Amino acid sequence: MKYIATIEGKEFTIEILDENHIIVDGQALEVDFVSVSGQPVYSLIVNGKSYEAYVYPAEDEWEVLRRGRMYPVRVEDEREKRLRAAAGSGVAETGEYHLKAPMPGLVVAIPVEEGQAIAKGDVLLILESMKMQNELKSPRDGTISRIRVKPGDSVEQRATLLSVV
Amino acid sequence: MFKKVLIANRGEIAVRILRACRETGLETVAVYSEADRQALHVRYADEAYLLGPAPSRDSYLRADKILEIAKKSGADAIHPGYGFLAEREDFAQACADEGLTFIGPKPSAIAAMGDKMTARNTVIAAGVPVVPGTEGEGSLSDSELLAIAPQIGFPLLIKATAGGGGKGMREVKSLEEMPLLLQSARREAESAFGDGNVYLEKLVLGARHIEIQILADTHGNVIYLGERECSLQRRHQKLLEEAPSPFVDEELRQKMGEVAVKAAQAVDYVNAGTIEFLVDKDKNFFFLEMNTRLQVEHPVTEMATGIDIVKEQLRIARGRQLSYSQADVQLKGAAIECRINAEDPYNGFLPSTGRIAHSLLPTGPGIRVDTGVYPGFEITPYYDPMIAKLIVWGETRAQAILRMRRALEEYKIVGVRTNIPFHQTMMDSHRFMGGQYDTRFVEERFSMQDSEEGREVRPDIAAILATLVAHQRTQRSAQIVRRGERDTSNWKWVGRWERMHR
Repeated sequence: MKYIATIEGKEFTIEILDENHIIVDGQALEVDFVSVSGQPVYSLIVNGKSYEAYVYPAEDEWEVLRRGRMYPVRVEDEREKRLRAAAGSGVAETGEYHLKAPMPGLVVAIPVEEGQAIAKGDVLLILESMKMQNELKSPRDGTISRIRVKPGDSVEQRATLLSVV
Repeated sequence: MFKKVLIANRGEIAVRILRACRETGLETVAVYSEADRQALHVRYADEAYLLGPAPSRDSYLRADKILEIAKKSGADAIHPGYGFLAEREDFAQACADEGLTFIGPKPSAIAAMGDKMTARNTVIAAGVPVVPGTEGEGSLSDSELLAIAPQIGFPLLIKATAGGGGKGMREVKSLEEMPLLLQSARREAESAFGDGNVYLEKLVLGARHIEIQILADTHGNVIYLGERECSLQRRHQKLLEEAPSPFVDEELRQKMGEVAVKAAQAVDYVNAGTIEFLVDKDKNFFFLEMNTRLQVEHPVTEMATGIDIVKEQLRIARGRQLSYSQADVQLKGAAIECRINAEDPYNGFLPSTGRIAHSLLPTGPGIRVDTGVYPGFEITPYYDPMIAKLIVWGETRAQAILRMRRALEEYKIVGVRTNIPFHQTMMDSHRFMGGQYDTRFVEERFSMQDSEEGREVRPDIAAILATLVAHQRTQRSAQIVRRGERDTSNWKWVGRWERMHR
């Protein structure tokens, strides 16, 4: 199985031959790879050198955290890569954006109202969690289309709070 | 003399106090909320009593219930820890009224230092320098504050009168933005302390936040245990502390120490306390406030002086003399504390909640971990995000930094995201290594993305790891599909397969 791993624009072609043998950019490597004491901590031994890291699944990529450094990695097989190339790149600046609660908490204030035009970086909602008030900001320009919560509401993680078009 | 101590707190500090009591031979009583039934402090105490539902106001802030439990359990002393009821004079007074020993200062000292205006006037009278501001002028209205602001000059800070821990605090750069900021500061103060009053204070630029730990007994002895450097903060929350401060020399230490002792004596202080100072780049220092309780960061002082502050607290509360005189207090080596918070440094430090699935603590020479969590414990949004304190000691500051790097790498917590990578990045920062930082450093000149020279970067290893994990997942999901296929008769399957290949 052949994969292409991309980190900040740099590509690595990684072919997995079997459990202990891989080819990285044409170079054959002997690997020993295990999940230690529960995911997502993994131990990797490559040609005798030992590495350890957290590997977290993110939306459409992986986050590898090693020695206080975060590496965002996109892993695709060749078919997926071709599909994405064909679709063109794009997180669209249009369409509806749903602001979701990044953590459970209490809605303290909503300084915007439905129909209001907003700019990127504007505070959309103030969410209190763990005794801190967190300002949730708009990732882009737009108009508030729908507000689904009100001050005083308790919300779960990933609950949709409001939408921007 | 008391024999049984009720610990009116939770988390790592409750565990810390339990340990000191246990070592002193005192019996212990824990109190807990419904969310904390499985917490370590409940498991370690001799007795444990339920306070109520998870929110603090229904549990750890219920002074009446705590006093009731003290009576029921036969506890004769109460240690408040930090936060919650620790700096409430009415609680200290209620303990006294019930004939319980409050392990802390007298109610009058809490009141004098808790009310910032009285505190300020008291220390000014004792000859202690303070930062210019409206503190001490009572609760002013927005229009009065707006009128005074230009005299103090910008930038300035709005601070909550009842506050602490950075809540209800706002920085103001100009008069124009001030009305809105006043509003939000008052709102936050109201929700955090039930008191929306605020005051203004000049912002000292390039300032360091350095505090002096003091101990005072009931026999009139007051000593200082050197300083703690607490300048590394984010949104006015301390993240990392060290003792001694790389900025303080012996002369400044002695000067600040003596002033701190004076401030404590001005309110007849008894027990452990901390005087916080702002120190400018020319080594002028100004009194900020006095914390009339045990501090989160007390372990760095313990590591650098070898003095067990909590045991001294117990000793003082039992009416005995301090175990040390000023001449006995010697700083040896250097200690650093990293506050491990359930916050994601890659996502705006947003709090992270969940169940701790796995935790591997750093161990070995010079390491101390104070924590109240363990695998299986649920991190809820009800309380502070701090889940552990990692403290190291080294013969020199450089040794301590190297040791901290090693310990941070060893520390594995699975289930919630933590700010450990933040501390790792900090330990690699040249400015930190050089001791060149102030209270604005984290927010203005520090980035998680900064790659300092000499730091190992291995995208190839990250690529291999991510690919192997992704591959494993693909394989697994393929297996699940295959297992499902058995539901269909193999003959039917072969038939379909053949048709497909015709």
